Amino acid sequence: MARLLGPLLVSPALIVILLLFMVPLTASVIGAFEVEGAYGLGNFTKAYDFYTQDIVFTAVIVGLSTVLTGLLAIAIGGYLTLGENRAAVAILRWLYRWPMFIPFIVVGQVLRTFLAKSGLLNSTLVAFGLLDPLTATSYLDWRGVVVAFVWKQTPFVALMVSGAMASLDRGTIEAARNLGASRLRILVEIVVPQVTTTLLVGLVLSFVTMMGVLSVPLMINAQAPTMITADIAFRLSTYRDYGVANALGLISLAISAVAAWFYLRVNMRQGR
Amino acid sequence: MSDDAYLSLKDIDAGYGRTRVLEGIDLMIGKGEFVALLGASGCGKTTLLRTIAGFALPSAGSIRVGGRDVTRLPPDKRGMAMVFQSYALWPHMTAARNIGYGLRLKGWRREAIAARVAEMEALLGLGGLGGRKPSELSGGQRQRVALGRALAVDPDILLLDEPLSNLDARIRLTVRHEIRALQQRLGITTIHVTHDREEAMVMADRIVILDKGRIAQLGTPEAIYTRPASAFVAAFMGAENVVPLDAACSGHRVDIAAGPLNRAAGLMLDRPAPPSGRLEARFRSERLELRRLDVQSAADGGAIELIGRVEAVVYPGGEWRHTVRIGDGSVLVDCPEALPPGSDVLVRVPASGLFLFAAPADGPAGASPSAADENSPARERLTA
Repeated sequence: MARLLGPLLVSPALIVILLLFMVPLTASVIGAFEVEGAYGLGNFTKAYDFYTQDIVFTAVIVGLSTVLTGLLAIAIGGYLTLGENRAAVAILRWLYRWPMFIPFIVVGQVLRTFLAKSGLLNSTLVAFGLLDPLTATSYLDWRGVVVAFVWKQTPFVALMVSGAMASLDRGTIEAARNLGASRLRILVEIVVPQVTTTLLVGLVLSFVTMMGVLSVPLMINAQAPTMITADIAFRLSTYRDYGVANALGLISLAISAVAAWFYLRVNMRQGR
Repeated sequence: MSDDAYLSLKDIDAGYGRTRVLEGIDLMIGKGEFVALLGASGCGKTTLLRTIAGFALPSAGSIRVGGRDVTRLPPDKRGMAMVFQSYALWPHMTAARNIGYGLRLKGWRREAIAARVAEMEALLGLGGLGGRKPSELSGGQRQRVALGRALAVDPDILLLDEPLSNLDARIRLTVRHEIRALQQRLGITTIHVTHDREEAMVMADRIVILDKGRIAQLGTPEAIYTRPASAFVAAFMGAENVVPLDAACSGHRVDIAAGPLNRAAGLMLDRPAPPSGRLEARFRSERLELRRLDVQSAADGGAIELIGRVEAVVYPGGEWRHTVRIGDGSVLVDCPEALPPGSDVLVRVPASGLFLFAAPADGPAGASPSAADENSPARERLTA
């Protein structure tokens, strides 16, 4: 009886995962190789022919956003850990988390009005005389997508990173200060190396999240090249072409898997 | 001493938020001196060390090193290097990189750093371990790497924050002597924080006993051990046995009337006696005389005799340890021969081992200030 109880308790969760996740995933993977009733690589050659530019664009945009997110998260976590102005630290601690609670689609909407040709950013720059109204351009292209991703994902990674930094042995920071290390050196040489694992987990999770965002490229970057997610939506809604959509999905998965592999490799090295 | 003090603290107050941790600390430390800051946990000894190091700013007072005011200087501008209780080694760097980091910050050339690190490794017996990460070193080796990291920058003053408390008891005994020998060889001014009385005694030239943020007594180990200035210090230095007595005192003379717990005695002390009245008598469990009440002996002066009954006998090694009930309290008495529980006995305390203080106005004289403290050496001794 006792031997049966364990599997019995696990089974509801297991069944949910199987039915709602594993089965559809398998169906999509199989669907990616299905071309008019037979199996083959037709969907992938089509995806390659039509969307190579978008695939590269996606990888570059998400990769760049991940790097910028990491740098900003380190800066925020570093200031929260090493900052000596208590008021500034308190304000930053209160302020930096807000974007986490704002959905991607709202971020897209907000940034549309902020980054447009006559948006808030340009009007402010013009008002301060930093920008000539005639040369003002819209930022609603790849730059807008990167800004949206970084703005939305930085708080999440910063939260993880600053938590890890806060739980470091303060002595390791004080010992470096005692020997004359500047705060920047302490951050780069003492603090960040001790939180790399947490930082990488946060960045890999952010990478995968950004790979799957549809609303931001649709709202901010409705032009070519665009992100894979927009192409998948287009294949499905316009052509009902599940084959190529599945193939594109599998390609996204492969790009995410590279990030996951990278993380696992670093993790293994740390564990040794 | 006061004029040529190398490190001098004047009237230091410090605290966290509204809590005052240190009050009016005055301390002069000579060049090359090894001073231990000793006290129970929460007495302010670590705060004092951190204030000297520059990690905490005093709310009042000044700190001078070699005549230079360093009170407001950052930690790295004071010529001090600290060894942390946790060692605080950087886990992502090898032992050699840990030791050489301070020199890298100073902009030394790579070969010069390597030479200095090798010198430190040889000095501390870390040869061949330079390539290991801290997680691959034993506790004693980590401790030496932390010491090497502090000494590599050739500081004027070495600060040690309970550096031995994370070591096994056996290793701790040898490391004590190693650190002391090293300090003497380098002639480096050293301040060592500890809650271990014996550690402070065997390592330091002078001991500062802290109690509730104030200096309770300052002196050589011998002076503090044999002439404690207060009941607190006496208790901290192992005089845990305490009995109340009524006495008439004048000058160095103390006359104790016979009572239900003691026989009459007249003593001449080698120091001025406390005021007449209710006294708190403290003594250690060693060098006492314990005998059956019915055995007569030649009564000579120079000691007090307490009447009690043996409650328990244990053998911790060396001598038999008797728990003797005297009135409402009990005392520990070490004696080469065991007397069975239930025996009525006389405990003879010679004047040289007796510390007399005016009984505190509030609370019973039997309450010992540190016996309740988990970290007090008395507690360790009792449970040893």
